[in-house]
Amino acid sequence: MDQSAGTLNLGVEGMMLIGTIVGFFTDYYTGSLLLAFLFAGLAGVVLSLLHAFAATSLRADQVVSGTAIWFIGWGLSGVIYRALFGNYLVPPTIGTLPHLQLPILTSIPIIGPILFGEDPVAYFILLMIIVTHYFLFHTQIGLNLRTVGEDPRTAEEMGVNPIRYRYAATMFGGFMAGIGGAYLTIAVTGTFYYDLTAGLGFIAVALIYFGKWKPLQTFLGSLVFGAVYVLFLTIQTHFQAIPYQFFAMWPYLAIVIILCGVAAKSGGPAGLAKPYEKRE
Amino acid sequence: MAETARVIALVGFVLIAVCASSLLFSLFGLSPLVGLASLFLGGFGSRGALAATVGGMVPLLIMAVGLSVPFTARVWNIGGQGQFVIGSIMATWMGLELSKSAPPSLVILFALFASFLGGALWLVPPILMRIYRGINEVITTLMMNFVAVFLLDWLITGPMEGPQAIALNEPSSAPLPGYLMLPTLVRGTNIGLGLVLALLLAVGFFFMMRYTRLGFELRLIGHGVEAARYAGVSIERDILIASLISGGIAGVAGMVQIYGAQGVLLPQVFSDITTSYGYVGIPVALIASLNPIGIILSAFFFSGILTGAYGIELTYDIPIDVVTALYGIVMFIAPLGFHITLTRRKSRVQRDGK
Repeated sequence: MDQSAGTLNLGVEGMMLIGTIVGFFTDYYTGSLLLAFLFAGLAGVVLSLLHAFAATSLRADQVVSGTAIWFIGWGLSGVIYRALFGNYLVPPTIGTLPHLQLPILTSIPIIGPILFGEDPVAYFILLMIIVTHYFLFHTQIGLNLRTVGEDPRTAEEMGVNPIRYRYAATMFGGFMAGIGGAYLTIAVTGTFYYDLTAGLGFIAVALIYFGKWKPLQTFLGSLVFGAVYVLFLTIQTHFQAIPYQFFAMWPYLAIVIILCGVAAKSGGPAGLAKPYEKRE
Repeated sequence: MAETARVIALVGFVLIAVCASSLLFSLFGLSPLVGLASLFLGGFGSRGALAATVGGMVPLLIMAVGLSVPFTARVWNIGGQGQFVIGSIMATWMGLELSKSAPPSLVILFALFASFLGGALWLVPPILMRIYRGINEVITTLMMNFVAVFLLDWLITGPMEGPQAIALNEPSSAPLPGYLMLPTLVRGTNIGLGLVLALLLAVGFFFMMRYTRLGFELRLIGHGVEAARYAGVSIERDILIASLISGGIAGVAGMVQIYGAQGVLLPQVFSDITTSYGYVGIPVALIASLNPIGIILSAFFFSGILTGAYGIELTYDIPIDVVTALYGIVMFIAPLGFHITLTRRKSRVQRDGK
């Protein structure tokens, strides 16, 4: 969504990182998951505002401001952690999210536990995907937003303020990235460690390319990605002779290969990936 | 945006930077003034501090020069870290293998060549993907960093594992024989041939940009691909050459770090800013707006902040991550300070569309 409005957001990684720590300490101190996700999202919004201000209003290069956001999120997450929790060898932990057991539905064999035994955030994310899809492709505002992304000048002639749209979209992206980061600490690991996201923010951006800027397809991409990830984890436990590093590096390699394959298939996103080299 | 508005924005950002760093220091119960003062004194305030800063700027400077070559054409090699790691692996491998049979100077030459080749080749797949498939090189070069780091991790816990650990609980390769280390110019410091090489590369970059056809064409591409194409520039070829140079120099930075400072292959930690030369090289190059003299100054500045931060980490137990955040803040301010007009001119020509 972010990118639909025309800001290549390298800062996503930074926003996720800040989300990991803010979500973690909010949960740690308040015990409220809702607050944790909310604050993590807001922290992402704050960083995204900086990004939007630099990239949109100041017209600074987006790679520059994106990298800046990434560094700020990277540094701050470590600083906040050390400031609040000191230099423990064993980090404090919080309980991870309970998996919902929706009555009746989970008792459906096989698909029941898979589809309905996830944690609540997973459902929230599913909902957001559908909402975002609807918003982008079935509302006037969504159409405007996409026009801003495609060609700001046309949008302006249509009476749409591109700057306002880019701000809003970047903030939305920041909020979601913050939540995504918080999800890692709250739901997945239950603890914080340095650089938890390890490039997940970048993988997310890559998946957007895979999904060709369409939320539903991006979701499919993430799903395939997640499935292959689990597959590799399984293989890893069975073939322990293969050094673990090769399993650890595959997601990053996979992204490179997938991107190559996707572009080859359609030839379409070539122009999209290169804002400054339109020659399709 | 009007000139005055930008001045206001600049003042605002400087204030934000001071406030933000004050806030960071006060989180740890340290007065902001003391914090900032000890940061700068620790980095620039004494002979020892300056020696450490100058020694530490070598890999940053080499890296930033390497990254600047494709950055000029607005091709974003974010994979410097990976190329650095591959370069350090190649150089160490050469050193360990050849030192038994070849004279030191020849070994060093081979290591230099191998690290250049390794770094350059590591960048080839993403760049070919960019050229022929139009795949955003930011993502792919970045992904290759992670691959390189895991490769390094495997090598030093497996095939290249050293006979004894250098540090407790940390894997490492076998150390290079001492006579292979680059000679130092100032006793008791890291200042040596590495610095000379780094400065030579910066000078070389200056001449390349100013006097060679490639440098001129890269700048044309940077100002606008279409215009460059009309001017008869072979964009694909130029981008490929620039990338080979860039990856190669990043690899050499890895070699210099091994032969000039570390002497042994150590694991890379993703979140460790102190060894993330490939990442820090990005702001070093960008805030200098790719100007060679500016790059020397910004490498010095970035290295100084890092040296100072080591000090305040020891004295006040403030994590080194403060530096990472400060780097990010500096990146926001610097473009406003002295190259926003440049960026604006460029960005008017070729932004949008995404």
